[in-house]
Amino acid sequence: MEALSDNALMMKVKEDDLGKMSLLFDRYKRPLYGFFYGLNKEQELSEDLVQNTFLRILKYRHLFHGEGDFRAWMFHIARNVNNDHHRKKRVKATEDLDNWQERIGHHENQSNEMQHNEEHNMLSMAMDRLPEDKREVLLLSKFEEKKYSEIGEVLGCTEGAVKVKVFRALQELKVIYKQLEKSH
Amino acid sequence: MEKTQIEELVAKYNEGVADPKEIKWIEQLIESGEIDLTQLRELSGLDEQIQKMEVLSPSLNLDDRFYAALANEEKQIKKGTSFSMPSLSFLLPRLAMAAALILSGFGVGYFLQSPAQKSEVSELSQEVNDLKEMMMLSLLEKESATQRLKAVSLTSEMSQASEKVTNALFVALNQDDNVNVRLAALEALKPYVGKSSVRMKLIESIEAQYSPLVQIALAELMVSIHEKKSVNALRQLLENESMPKEVKTKISESIDVLI
Repeated sequence: MEALSDNALMMKVKEDDLGKMSLLFDRYKRPLYGFFYGLNKEQELSEDLVQNTFLRILKYRHLFHGEGDFRAWMFHIARNVNNDHHRKKRVKATEDLDNWQERIGHHENQSNEMQHNEEHNMLSMAMDRLPEDKREVLLLSKFEEKKYSEIGEVLGCTEGAVKVKVFRALQELKVIYKQLEKSH
Repeated sequence: MEKTQIEELVAKYNEGVADPKEIKWIEQLIESGEIDLTQLRELSGLDEQIQKMEVLSPSLNLDDRFYAALANEEKQIKKGTSFSMPSLSFLLPRLAMAAALILSGFGVGYFLQSPAQKSEVSELSQEVNDLKEMMMLSLLEKESATQRLKAVSLTSEMSQASEKVTNALFVALNQDDNVNVRLAALEALKPYVGKSSVRMKLIESIEAQYSPLVQIALAELMVSIHEKKSVNALRQLLENESMPKEVKTKISESIDVLI
């Protein structure tokens, strides 16, 4: 039996058949986690953001019309979830000066995690040094399997513009990668 | 740009000797689809490596949290749409007992009440009516259409609506943004069509309606109360060119009946 398409599943979810949501969760929890982890390098935070993305999909299920692609819609929501998180974090950082110790601790954990998880993988290190917008477009290209028109839907630009963004990001990645190679 | 020129440009880029101006051209050709990213050897290799990069898996904790949230959401939906009905064998003896108690209460009350108590009861029911009236008028001011619908439906619980209430219903019928509220107000006014003042206001209301649904409902009401004075107002509605054909037919039929 042919598996139900993402859009067909999401249309069922829209009709309150929430059981179908678990199938979408199984399909996309890993790519979404990879996307968030690639952007934030924090395991717990990335899991939180995956959870929030699916909760937001549930909350706004009535807004899915099935005309566009589910995956593009989902990554669009995922980007918003990530941006909202960082915006809140920035506000909190300026308001809450008392938790500076906690924040320093958090950065230490982050760098430890990087060392452990990435195992000095040069490409990952180069990716981490890319500006966020460029890293994001490369991650979207990876997790949306190079479907540039889909990525265009997520980023709100044309397919051609996405290709140029990927080209520029790869160019910069190449430069960073070569610098890392030299220093090792 | 000719195909050979593009090939030369790509070759230059792959040799690492393209200058910034040529890179700008390449960008334009990528955007227009004349150069594919896979033609740029080094970048394409890097891209392939990214695609092959291992993806970490989230912990099982994420699954637990997600399924708990999903179960919660499902519960909310069930709560909103259905409730479990107790079995008939459970309900029947209790309902019989309650009915017997209420009937005996009425019986005893009827034989025991004095004239003074009778007037107390009527005072009390007047107070309840006033309270409902007050509630209805304040609910009509609410922003939510559901609240305003609730307000209109409250009038059906009133033994007799005051002029204040019928006036408020006319305001709802003529000015409310929501068509459903207007229709409900018209429905609530039907018991009062015996009053000539209400009938006059209903005729005046015809020209205040923009929704075909309300226009048809008013026309039907006019027919049912044989209000011939409404013919002119209904004819005026027909002059509106943007009115859907079906509505025009329906209103013309009403006029024909009234004439």
